[in-house]
Amino acid sequence: MPEYQYIGKPARRVDALEKVLGTAKYIADRKLPGMLHARCLRSEVPHARIVKLDVTPALAVPGVRGVITSEDFFEHGLYGFPVKDKYMLAYQKVRYVGEAIAAVAADTPEAALAGVQAIICELEPLPGVFDMEHALDADAPQVGPDRPDGEHPNFLDKLIVRKGDPLAVWEQSPIKLEERYTVGPQEHAYIEPEGVLAVPTPEGGVVVYAPNQSPFINHGNLALVLNLPHNLVRVIQPPVGGSFGGKDDIIYESSAQVARLALITGKPVRMVFSREESLIVSYKRDAMRMHIWLAADPDGTLRACKFDGLLDSGAYASESSFTAWRASIHAMGAYRYDACHVDITAVYTNNGYCGAFRGFGNTEVCMAIEQAIDEMAYKVGMDPIDFRLKNCLRLGDETVHGQRLTESVGLAECLMAVRRLSDWDRKRAEYTRRDVACNVSTTNDIRRGIGVAALYHGTSLGAEGQDYANATIAIEQDNSIDITSGLTDYGTGSRTVFTLIAAEELGVRPERIHMQRPDTDTAIESGPTVASRSTMLGGNAMRIAAMNLRQTLDYAAADLLGCELHQLIRHGEAYVGPAEEPVPWERVVAHAREMGLALSAHGKWTAPRINWDHHAGRGTPYMAYHFAAQVAEVEVDMGTGNVQVIGFWAAHDLGKMIFPQGAYGQLYGGIAQGLGYALMEQITFVNGYIQETNFESYLIPTAVDVPEIVGTFIEAPFSHGPYGAKNIAEPAMVPTAPAILNAIYHATGRRVRDLPANLERVLLGHDLAKGGSPRACKLGLHIA
Amino acid sequence: MIAHKNQTLVRARINGEEVAFFCEPRQTLLEVLRDTLGLTGVKEGCGNGNCGACNVIMDGVLVNSCLVLAVEAEGRSITTVEGLAGPDGLHPLQQSFLEHAALQCGVCTPGFLVAAKALLDHNPHPTEHEVRYWLAGNLCRCTGYDKIVRAVLDAAEKMTA
Repeated sequence: MPEYQYIGKPARRVDALEKVLGTAKYIADRKLPGMLHARCLRSEVPHARIVKLDVTPALAVPGVRGVITSEDFFEHGLYGFPVKDKYMLAYQKVRYVGEAIAAVAADTPEAALAGVQAIICELEPLPGVFDMEHALDADAPQVGPDRPDGEHPNFLDKLIVRKGDPLAVWEQSPIKLEERYTVGPQEHAYIEPEGVLAVPTPEGGVVVYAPNQSPFINHGNLALVLNLPHNLVRVIQPPVGGSFGGKDDIIYESSAQVARLALITGKPVRMVFSREESLIVSYKRDAMRMHIWLAADPDGTLRACKFDGLLDSGAYASESSFTAWRASIHAMGAYRYDACHVDITAVYTNNGYCGAFRGFGNTEVCMAIEQAIDEMAYKVGMDPIDFRLKNCLRLGDETVHGQRLTESVGLAECLMAVRRLSDWDRKRAEYTRRDVACNVSTTNDIRRGIGVAALYHGTSLGAEGQDYANATIAIEQDNSIDITSGLTDYGTGSRTVFTLIAAEELGVRPERIHMQRPDTDTAIESGPTVASRSTMLGGNAMRIAAMNLRQTLDYAAADLLGCELHQLIRHGEAYVGPAEEPVPWERVVAHAREMGLALSAHGKWTAPRINWDHHAGRGTPYMAYHFAAQVAEVEVDMGTGNVQVIGFWAAHDLGKMIFPQGAYGQLYGGIAQGLGYALMEQITFVNGYIQETNFESYLIPTAVDVPEIVGTFIEAPFSHGPYGAKNIAEPAMVPTAPAILNAIYHATGRRVRDLPANLERVLLGHDLAKGGSPRACKLGLHIA
Repeated sequence: MIAHKNQTLVRARINGEEVAFFCEPRQTLLEVLRDTLGLTGVKEGCGNGNCGACNVIMDGVLVNSCLVLAVEAEGRSITTVEGLAGPDGLHPLQQSFLEHAALQCGVCTPGFLVAAKALLDHNPHPTEHEVRYWLAGNLCRCTGYDKIVRAVLDAAEKMTA
C-alpha cells in the first residue's frame, strides 16, 4: 500500500474549535436586526378537506407582519422528488397531523403564535388510512394523489428483484423457514431541532440559511415555488446539529415558508421548531412489515429466499420510492442463492410521513433477514458465524441481481475479525449451557447471550440516478487555500475528509486549507448529500481538483528549478530539483503567479454508469458494496425483560479509512443509533396521532445504554474510490439491531421479531395494550 | 429585587462577571442566557430537561437551564460553556474534546463540557462507570458516547497529574 502523508493519519476536525468554545452559530443562535419570527398553523386532524381558510384576522393581530398560504406559491408550492405530491403549505387537503396550513411572521414569537390562533381555518374531517395492510383495499379512503395509470391512489411504488423461482425451491427443500418481522417508524432525534432563516436581498431575491443536507435541492425547490430565477436564490448551510437523513424535505418546506415571508415583509424571517413540533411534524424512518421464506440444504447451503415487504410511506412519498428500492436490493442479505424474489410495496397512509433515514431501507430489511438467517443457522445446526461464512458473498461471486463482484469484498474477513475480537467461540459455548455458570447474578435470573449479524450496503446512489460531484480549490494572495464542495458536512466530518484529501494531493499541510461552508453561490452542484456518498464522490472530485492545481504548481516548479517535471521530488511542502536544494512551496506559488498561471482549479468526478432494469428486477444496482459484521453481547433480566448490551464488536470493510477519528465516530454513533432502534426507540401512531412528543417518551440511548465498542476496519480497496475508500456512515448502524436481537435469542431462547425489543416483548412476547390518545400530540402543537 | 411592570431586575455573576438583566417572571434562565445575554453556546434541545444541551453550573450545582426560572439566578454564580476557556487558553476538557474528536455535529457539546466540568469539580478521579452515569443526563445522537467518555477520563488524568 502506498504511504500517505495525511490520509489515514490522526487529524483534528476542522470544525472542532468553534464547537468546544460554544461559538459555532447554528440557526437558532443567529439573530439579525429587525428579524421576524415565523410559526405555522398546523393540522390537528390526520385527514381533512380545507373548507375555509381566512388569514385576514391574523394580519390584524399587533406585531404580525405577514401571513401566507399555498396561494402564495407558484403552483400552490407543489414539490417533491422523485414523486411531486407535497405542498409547501397544505393545498385543499391535509393528510397528516402537524401538516402546515399557513405561516405567520411577526415581531415576536408570542405575536406569531397569536397570529396563528387568529387564523380562521375550517377542516372537514375525512376518514383516514392508519393500517398499511388496508391501504390498498378497494374502499380505502384516498390519501395519495390521483393515479391516471389506473393504480390504486394509495399505491406508491413496487420494487422487485428476480432470480429463478424461490418458492418452487422452498416447497422441495428439506429445511425451510417462513417468518414475519415488523419494524415501526424511527425518529432521527438530531439534538438540534429544525430551524431556518431567510433574508431578502435588494435585487428581489432571497438568501436562506438552512441546516439542510442538500442545499442545491433546497435551492431548486425555492426557485421553483417562489418563481425566481436560480441566480436570485442563495442557500447557505450553517453548522448543522445532526441530521441522519432527517433534514431534507422538512427543511425545504420551512425554507420556502420563511423565504416567501421574507420577500413579502422585506425583513429577515426565522423559524425554529420546539422539540415537540420537531417530533410531531418531521418525517420518520418508514415502518415495514416483512415476510420471509428461506430454504437450505442439510449441509447448510442456502438455496432460496423469497422476501415480501410492505412499506408505510405515510401521507407523502418523500424518498420512499428510493428507500423501497434500496430495501429491495439488500433484502436477501449478503448471501448466495440459487433463487431469490423480492417484492417491496410502498403505500400511502395518514401516519405522519416517512423519508430518508440512515440505512435507507437496508436498516429495516437487515433486521429481518439477519434474524431469519440466524434462525436458519439453528435449524441446520450450525454456528451462526460458520453458517454465514459458508454462504456469504465472496470475491468472484455473482449476486442474486446478476452482478459479478470483481473487487473489494471483505465480508468473510469481517466475520472472522469479530469472531476473534469478541472471543465468540468461548462465549458461544459458555452461554449456550443453560446452567448456573451462565447465570451471572445470584438474586435475579440474568442470562447472557452473544449474537452476530452481517451486512452489505451499496455505495452512493447506485442506479437511483446519475452520480457525480464537483469541487474547487484556490490559492489566496497570502497562500492560504480555499476549497469548496457541493456536498455538505452536517456533523459527519466530511469537511475534514476533503481537507485531508486536498492536503495529500497538493502536498501541503492541512492547516493551510480552509473548507468553506456550503453555499450555492460559491460551490458547484454535486447531487444530494445522502447515501454515504461524500467520501467517495466528493472525495474523488476534491482529489481531481487538487491534482489539477498541483499540475500547475509542478509546471511552475520545474520552470523555476530549470528541470523536467519527472525530476521534481517533494520534501514536505518544499519542491526539490536536481540541484537538491529545497525550494519552499510559497516560492513556487509566487513563481506560478509571475508566470501568469491560474491558481485555482475545478474537479468533477462522475461514477461509472450502472444499470438496473426495474421491470426485470435485474442488473447492477451499485458500483461497490460496504461489507461488515457486528457482534453484540447482552445480559437479559428474565424477571423484567430488561436487556443490557454489555459488549459490542464491529468489523467494517470501508475500502480505505481517510480520517480515522471521523470514521470511528461514525461507527460508534451508528451503533448507538442501531442499539436504540433495537431496544427502545418506538414511534406509535394511534389513529394518526403520534404518541411520543419529547425525549421523556421517545427514548434514545444514553452513555449508560451504550457499551464500550471495539471497532476495526478491514480495508479491501475499491479501485474507483479515492485511495480505495468506499463509505461508512450508513452501514455503521444497519446490522446493529439484528446482532442484538440474535444475542437476545441466544440468551433467552425467545425470538423478538417486532422492533423495538422492549421489556414486554422480551418478557411476554407481545405488546401490552396501551391504547393512546391525541392529547400529547395536540398539546405539543401549541407549545409556545 | 426591583420589579417594573412585568419585568424583574436580576443580578447574577455569570462566567465571573457581575451581570444585571431584566426578565419576565415566566422566562427561563435558558431564554435569558441565549436571547438577552447572547450566550448562545447554551443550547435548547428539548425544553423539558431531558437532553442536557442547556446545562449550566449554578453555585456549583449542574442544572438544566431550561428548568430554572431566570429570576432564580438572583445572587447566584453561573458558569456556561463560554466561561470554560480562560486567559491561558482552553479548559483541559475542551482541549481533550478537541484531541479525541469527541464531537460531531456539536450541538450537545457545550452541555457535555459543562456537565463534565461539574463532575470533575466534585470528583477529580471518576471511574468510567461514574463518567457514564454522570453524563446519562446528556443526549448525544452522533458519537455513541465512546469518544466523549474517553475525552473526560483523559482530561481528568491530565488535570490531576
